[in-house]
Amino acid sequence: MPLVYAAATSHAPGITAWNDAAPAQQRERIATGFGTLRERFEAARPDVIVLLTSEHWTNFFLDHMGAFFVGRAESYRGPVEPWLGIAPAVVRGNPDLATALIDAAYDDGFEVSFGYELQLDHGAMLPLHFLVPELKIPLVPVLFNALAAPQPSARRCYGLGRVIGELVARRSERVAIVATGGMSHDPGERGHGRIDSDFDRTFLGRMAAADVTALTSYRNADFAAAGSGAYELLAWIALRGAIGAIAGSVVAYEPVVPWATGIGMMTFAA
Amino acid sequence: MSAYTLQKMIREVNLRPERRAEFFASREAFVAGYDLTDEERDAMLRFDIGKLYALGVHGLILRPFTLLHKVPEPDYLAAIRAER
Repeated sequence: MPLVYAAATSHAPGITAWNDAAPAQQRERIATGFGTLRERFEAARPDVIVLLTSEHWTNFFLDHMGAFFVGRAESYRGPVEPWLGIAPAVVRGNPDLATALIDAAYDDGFEVSFGYELQLDHGAMLPLHFLVPELKIPLVPVLFNALAAPQPSARRCYGLGRVIGELVARRSERVAIVATGGMSHDPGERGHGRIDSDFDRTFLGRMAAADVTALTSYRNADFAAAGSGAYELLAWIALRGAIGAIAGSVVAYEPVVPWATGIGMMTFAA
Repeated sequence: MSAYTLQKMIREVNLRPERRAEFFASREAFVAGYDLTDEERDAMLRFDIGKLYALGVHGLILRPFTLLHKVPEPDYLAAIRAER
């Protein structure tokens, strides 16, 4: 079975940049959660990671903004943030799988953007730091515009995820799919620090239960109400599209005010 | 687009180490290279976080920029919440 691992996690920079600011119990539970994600990742022995994450003005700006972007480079550098607390490194890419993904997307009506150069920020480097700190597994990054209106719809993100899942099923490599971002947060904005735990827990429940109707019914206004960073959950919805109805379980959920984010983590029985 | 050039300039500082070094070597010389309004230029030269936010700089551009200046979170939030 080519899909060997699926997980979703928040990628709040505070997890590494100002870890000590959070209460000890929350830090412990989140560290344990990352430990669980890593344990299962290592047991799954993936050959490649398809990483679904969000753009943070690192690669794109208002001069050219697309909905979806696939990296087809031989390698990537990151993180771009000197304050993140993660050492700069090079991560290998997988142009072959990336190109197959782009072709599959075009065949199915998703004309994704693509490029041979991409910088990685906390959205990729922070989850990788915990999942595969040696950075020994190559990566196919897929970026979602969670920033500049109009963001892609939940329905389209789910659809793109389905394309990815169907492609992965045809491949011979052992593939891990990891979605990163969210949950409720309003980073750098006036609502910074506000966390909507009800929104987060409802979303986690819908992801766990594969409630596709509910997940694809989220509207931009629903994410905006949970903070500008909640749009990043579009990558999680794409993950649900990729993995079908397989069961999911919540590994951790902590509303961490000093990190200004509802921190959620899930694994799925691949 | 609101604050297009202003955001583009700050993003350069955030992302490109060589441009960041130029900015911290001379804020005036760096800012002079961009076509900003008087209000935008003044806010940059005074490092007026609240004004930069009110002028339309996105939180995910402005907060990383202030992190490069080691601005504590409470100070950042007080600045953007004060300016309307």
